[in-house]
Formats: sequence, structure tokens, C-alpha cells
Amino acid sequence: MNRLPLLFLGIFLTFASAWAGLVAYPYLKLGQLLPITNEETGELVPPPLSGIADAGQDVYAANGCLYCHSQQVRPAYLSTDIAKGLGPRRTVARDYIRSRPAFLGTMRTGPDLTNVGLRYSAEWQHRHLYEPGEVSKGSIMPAFRYLYIMQKIEGAPNADALKDLTGPHAPKPGYEVVPTEDAKALVAYLLSLKRNYPLPESPEEALE
Amino acid sequence: MSEDPNIPESEEFREDELSSEMNVAKVHGSIMREQADPRDGYEPISLWLITFSFALVFWAGMYLVGNSGGFSSEVFNANLVAWDGSGAAVDKGPPDPMIVGKRVYTQYCLVCHQSTGLGVAGQFPPLVDSEWVLAREWHGDNHVVKVVLNGLQGPITVKGNLYNNAMAPWGGVLKDEQVASVLTYIRNEWGNAAPPITAEFVALIREQNADRKEAWTQKELQAIPRAVIDASAPPAADEAPAADPAAPSQPPAATAAPGA
Amino acid sequence: MTTLAESLNPSSSEQTLEKIERSAIDASARLPVLLFFGTAIFWLLIGSLLALVASFKMSIPGFLDNEAWLTFGRVRPAHMNTVIYGWASAAGIGVGLWLMARLCRVAMMHTSLLIVAAIFWNLGVLVGTLGILAGDSRSIEWLEFPGYSTPILFIAYAFIGIWGIIMFRFRRPGHVYVSQWYLLAAFLWFPWLYGTVNILLIWQPILGSAQGAVNWWYAHNVLGLWFTPIGLASAYYMIPKVIGRPIHSYYLSILGFWSLALFYSWNGMHHLIGGPFPAWMISASVVASIMMFIPVITVAINHHMTMKGHFGGLKWSPTLRFTVFGAMSYTVVSFQGSLMAIPTLNQITHFTHYTIGHSHLGLYAFFTMMMFGAMYYITPRLVGWEWPSANLIRWHFWLAAIGILVMVGALTLGGIIQGLALYDPAVNFMNSMHFASPFLWVRSISGLLLTAAHVIFAVHFVMMLLQMGSKRGEPTLFARPVLEEETLSV
Repeated sequence: MNRLPLLFLGIFLTFASAWAGLVAYPYLKLGQLLPITNEETGELVPPPLSGIADAGQDVYAANGCLYCHSQQVRPAYLSTDIAKGLGPRRTVARDYIRSRPAFLGTMRTGPDLTNVGLRYSAEWQHRHLYEPGEVSKGSIMPAFRYLYIMQKIEGAPNADALKDLTGPHAPKPGYEVVPTEDAKALVAYLLSLKRNYPLPESPEEALE
Repeated sequence: MSEDPNIPESEEFREDELSSEMNVAKVHGSIMREQADPRDGYEPISLWLITFSFALVFWAGMYLVGNSGGFSSEVFNANLVAWDGSGAAVDKGPPDPMIVGKRVYTQYCLVCHQSTGLGVAGQFPPLVDSEWVLAREWHGDNHVVKVVLNGLQGPITVKGNLYNNAMAPWGGVLKDEQVASVLTYIRNEWGNAAPPITAEFVALIREQNADRKEAWTQKELQAIPRAVIDASAPPAADEAPAADPAAPSQPPAATAAPGA
Repeated sequence: MTTLAESLNPSSSEQTLEKIERSAIDASARLPVLLFFGTAIFWLLIGSLLALVASFKMSIPGFLDNEAWLTFGRVRPAHMNTVIYGWASAAGIGVGLWLMARLCRVAMMHTSLLIVAAIFWNLGVLVGTLGILAGDSRSIEWLEFPGYSTPILFIAYAFIGIWGIIMFRFRRPGHVYVSQWYLLAAFLWFPWLYGTVNILLIWQPILGSAQGAVNWWYAHNVLGLWFTPIGLASAYYMIPKVIGRPIHSYYLSILGFWSLALFYSWNGMHHLIGGPFPAWMISASVVASIMMFIPVITVAINHHMTMKGHFGGLKWSPTLRFTVFGAMSYTVVSFQGSLMAIPTLNQITHFTHYTIGHSHLGLYAFFTMMMFGAMYYITPRLVGWEWPSANLIRWHFWLAAIGILVMVGALTLGGIIQGLALYDPAVNFMNSMHFASPFLWVRSISGLLLTAAHVIFAVHFVMMLLQMGSKRGEPTLFARPVLEEETLSV
């Protein structure tokens, strides 16, 4: 192939075709989606995140939660995600417009988190982040103790202090474990992960 | 220097020839023994490869047209679009309760009542051919819905066998459609055959039992008159038992106290 | 045109002139290519260490879990980015530059541009890696370097890109060989990829799941349109060069190149099957992934038929051994990839260790081994010295080959078991992890083998730079070379 203009043109066009389909198209069609109003409740869906939950996204990104946890519910005709209770319906593009970035994930070393806000309380999340192996026996999740501070109890115990901690890193008598702002933000974000509101493009029972 | 291209040149052979050039450019052993730069041969492409490629392109076209949801940005499930390629998602009708019900059963009920519906002897009662499920004898549609919504406790008799366990309430976890689907499923699986339970009936029972916090006992349920869903009439409340004349079981006793 | 050599001795043959020309090219390439090679090997060691930490953490969650900068969620992307940008890209740039220079038959000019580029590139990788460990990653897979480090890489690349165009402009006229098409394409595609994804995901992020589409368009194309072409360019050069035979079919080269260009770039969404995207995008990627059978089979036939009758070369040539290992791995990993994209199979393999096995089969068994082969060929020509020890090369090869095969095997089997457990709604999630855990131990141990191989290679490379060992007249080979008939010697 010695006709170089043809070579350059081909290199350009083949690449441009996929760029058009996989970059420009999503940018135009999916990247400009807006929330819609839920007919039943009158609320905006997906609901906006509170300030602290939004800050929690940065903590989630910084600590690489995505490398073990996915956040997508696949449809029933392609998976058993709905049968396993990961969510009442598959997730669609609009579910992620509040995410910075969309933490879709590609590994399930740990469970999917799309609807984790429906399953666990803030206390559970804090205890689990502090020492996963104590809450979830046999878990290989790393501990995020560095998001917490072990401090001496001065006067009355701190209102945010974690309760019922067990295991080798439980606080000694007279000490308490208090979440940092990052920990609180992260847990607020995890509690906000609820994608069980209805969306017209994702009918609840996608059946085979 | 050698004109024979088949003999790789060795270093000592070249040294005297190139001693002058070696002062100009350091020509070391690795370059001396190098082969010529790569060039192209011109064998034709095999016919098999061409045929295979065309076959693959054909398959690709068919797959793409059939699985692309009409190329719409709002269709996320490829199987929701008819072959005629109509753009928007085509509704395939209301979901089949047997499929939804089976899913609910697998997720919540199977762990005790087993995938065979036979339960565990002495522990969890069977659903297969059970009078509780099929609304036979004193049991009605209302009783089985109450059991699912609020749970069951204390000694019970199923198919002549005694069980004394506790069934968790599912009213807080399952929606009306799910309760209706799973009951329809268990009534029509494993050789069972009984009319379906509707979501409206479940909603009615749920409303009537809104204040009920505890699980039912067999004694309490027996005191409530039997009621079945009548297709021609609106669902009956507990207070006014409406016997379905076509039902195979006996008509209920005289009106009892308003619904327990 | 009268060359210097000709003017000194008019009876110099064509072949001699070619040799001197090559020597001049190699001399001009010495500093920039060795700089890319040396720094690449450095990052290979760092990346291997980070990989070991991450891998052992998956088996021993309490391992090094006190510090924020060592948490798995930071070490794992640090490993990935150092090996992708620090090792693989730098090695690929070094090999690509040398191949371009040799094939264009023009000595490198303005090499200071390249040296600046190498320095910036490594600076970018260093700042980026430290940024990830410090917690500034945005968790965008394959693009975790924080926004303050990516422009550094882009500047470095701009120098390389500009330089590459200049060199190609001044090439010797004549037939443009297949390796040159691949290299040109790779060097043009990469900045487009890198620029787009930086703008749309880091600097002016778009909303919603569109990010996933752009993310995986980028990540897959770094593999398919940056690394794969460089790897194939090297294979297309090294195989015929070492055995002295022409490439089997120019027509197969054309078919292979264009079908790769057309189909590979559409594959990205196969990382997101079942994900929140319009059905047609997923289907397009599934189709493109299956269509990849065409370029892969084409290239496999081309290489195989070229090698046919000359597989004896694997006994004595280190370059050929690494290169053919890489080329065969390319075929296997691509077939595996095409099959993984089938939605029925994807249901089982998605989200599991199987995917990790696949990515290591591609980036290591194919690309890294290919780069090792090229580096074993190129380095003596730059340094003017032969590799001091055939034994060290032997150890390197076997540790790497066995290590990667064990790693891929463990992750593949473990991934399938994990996937089957994940698929069954009746199986507890925890069990999917426990079934896979022995395989993760095996993976960690295979990682030790690979790290050992890299240490050996690094030591050997330093020995080369220092010109240790005795001066040899012959290349360092595993055994005495036996060239079959009809070789093209010069």
C-alpha cells in the first residue's frame, strides 16, 4: 500500500466511525439526560444528592471502591441480577446522571451496590467500613480504619462514635472510634444508593 | 566479498574489507550478521478465509438488526422490540404471574418450602396438594393471603400432619402484585391447580388487616369465614362471606363475627 | 546519492551500504530508545511490586491495611497505570521509534525532542502514580491518573507525535511495509483517544452512563489501537527478520490491517454488556467483537505460514521465542475475547476474575512478551554489545512464560467458578468469593515468578548498559543457529 493519502484516510475514517457511535452518540443522547418527575410521588427522579452524599462520591472515587464493587443491575434476559435481588429493575442511563463519574464497575469481588441504600443502615455501614471482617465473616474487603479516629473519651461519649465494635481493633475501655468527615460523607453516599424509583425506559419486569 | 547470498557473512571475513569504513561508522557484529529487512511475499488469500469472512459479515448484519431495539436511544432491552423493527419499545402485555411468582418463590419461599414444594418433614409444611394453598375444606383464598401477609405461628395441621413452626410475615417485603403472583404460582405448580389470586384481592385483604401486627394462628384463621375470589362479583370482605357456588368445597357456616 | 561510505571506497557493495546505513540509524536512535527502554523497565519493576501487594491483599485482607495510600482501591489502579503507561507504552514507543527509523531507512534527527518527550512522559507517570496513591484518582478505569498529571503525558506525546510525522515525511521513498502502517495508525490513534477521553471524562465531564461508554471506548482502544498495532508491527518485523524469509502474503497483511482498524474500535461496549446503554450499542460491540475473528485469523495465518518450516528458530533465537510466544498469545486472547462477548457466555464471565485473566493474557502474554523479544533484538544494536548471558535470558523466558500461563489458568478457572456461583440466585454471594480464593493464591504465587523474571531482565539490561561480561563476536543465542535453506542473508 503505497498510496499514503489512502492510508491516512482509512486510518481516519475507521476510527471516526467508532468515535461517532461510541463517543459522539452517547454524548448527545445520553450525556444530556435530565431528571424526570415521578408521577406517583411528584418527586424528581433520580433524586439529587445531599451535599454530604455528593462529597461522598469523591471519597468513593479516591479509595477505589469501584475495583471490587459494581453499580449496575442487568436485565433479566441477560442475567440473574433481578432474581438475586440486586434491584427491582435494570438500571438505565438516567440512573447515573448524578454520579461523578458513573461508578459502573467491572468486578464483583464484592456485592453490587446499586441499591445498597435499601439494605443497610448507617451504623452497619460504619461498622463494616471500620472492620469488614467482623461484620461480614470471611470477607476479603480491606479495612478502612484510616477513615476513623480512635480517641480517648472526654466526658460524654461522642454522638457519632461507633457502637458494638468487636475484634482486634475494637476500642479499649475509655476509648471510642469516631468517623471522620470523609467517613460520614462516604456512608451518606452509600445510603443514597437507591435506584428503586420507577423510570419509563426501564419497566419493572423485563421478562423472558 | 561474497556474492553468494546464501552464506551469512561473518565478522572476520568483513574486517579487512571494511577497515576504512569502520573508522567512519562502528559496524559491529550484530549488524554484520543481520538478515535483509523484511519484505512481502504475494501468496493469495485462501478461498476459505474469504468465504468465512463473508459468512461472518452476513451473521453480523442479521444479529445487529435483530438485537438493536430499533436503534433507539431509549430502548435498553434488545428483546423488547418486534422483528419488524418498530422503533419504540413494544409492550408485550402484562407480566406472566407464573414467571414473576416463580422468581418471588425462589427468592423468599424456596429456602423453607423447597424447590419441590414438598417442604421438610416435621418442619416446614408442603405446598403440593395442600388444602391451605388450594382453598379446600375450611380454607379460603382470604386465609392464604393473610398467612403470606402476616405470617403464621403455633400448631397447624397440613394434610393430616402436625407442624409447629413460625412463618415470617411478608406483607412488608412483598407488594400486592408479588403476593398475588407467588400465590398464583404455587397454586399451579407441582400438579396443583387452582384459580389465580389477583392483586386487587390482596390489596383488599391487606387493607382489612392493616391493624394486624401478629402472625396468625390456625385457631384464629378457622374462626374467619372462608372467602374466595368471585370473578363475576367484586371481592368479598370477611364480614359478608360470599360462597362461590362453583367452588368444590362446602359452603361456609353461618356468618361469624366481623373479620378477625 | 553518494554516501560517505561510497566516497571512501567506491567498490562497497549495496549490502555494505545498507549495513552502514543501519548502523548510522542505530547510532542515532541510541539515546532516546535506550531512555525509553530503561525507564520502561524501571516502571515494570514498580508495577510488578504494586501488583504483588494488590494480589496478596486479595488473599490476606489485613495485609498492609493501616495506611490510606496502601489500600487495595489505590494500589490496584496504581499497578494498572504504571504498567500501562510506565512500562507498556514506553516500551512500545521505544520499539516503535526504532522500527520506524529502520523501516523508513532514515537516521533519527532532532532526537532532543524525543529525549524531552521521554523525560516528560516519565514525569507524568511518576506524578500520576503518586497522585493515585494520595487519593486523587477519579476511579475511571485505565485513566486513573489525576487531572494534573495527564497534560504532562499529553505534552510528552505531542513531542513524539510531531517527531514521528517529521521522520515519516523524510523517509526513503519506496514500498511502505506493513509494520509501518500499523505504527503510523497507532501513533495517530493514540492522541485522539487520549485527548478525547481527557476532555470528556476529566476536564469537562459528561453526565450519566455516557461516561461508561466513553471510558470503555478509550480503554479497549488503548489495547486494540495502540498496543496491538505496535505489537503486531514488531511481530511483522522480527519474525521475517530473524528467520530471513518474506512475509507469507501481502494481501493477508492488507486484510488484517483494515479489518482490525474497522472492527476493533467498535468493541468497547463489550465490557458493559447488560449495562445501562441503548441495546444497539451493546449489540454493535458484540458484533464487532465476533468480527474480530477475521483480522485475528488473517494475521495468524500470515505469521504461521511465514514461520512454517522455520520453527527450529525457536530453539536458538531469544527474539523469535518471545515474539512467537507473543504472537500465538495474540491469537488465543483474541479468540477468547470474541467468545467472551457473546451475551450467553458473558452472563457467567462478566464481573469475575476471568476478565482479569483475559486482560493479562493480552497485555502480558501478548504485548509484554512481544516487547521483551523486540528489546532483546534492538538493545545490542544500540549499545554495541551482546547480551552477557544466555542463561539469564533463558531464566527470564521460562519464569515469564510459566508465570503468565499459571496466572491466566488460575484466573480463568477461578473466574468461571466464581461466575457460576454468582449466576445462581440460590448461592450466597460469599460463596462466590470463597470458591475463587485458592485460585487467587495461585495467582499471587505466579506473580512472584513474573516479578523474578523482571528482576532478572532488569539486571541483565543494566549489565548491557555497563557492557559487562566479555566481548563477543556473535549474538547471544540459546543454541547454535541453524538457518534453513533459502534464507535471505545480506
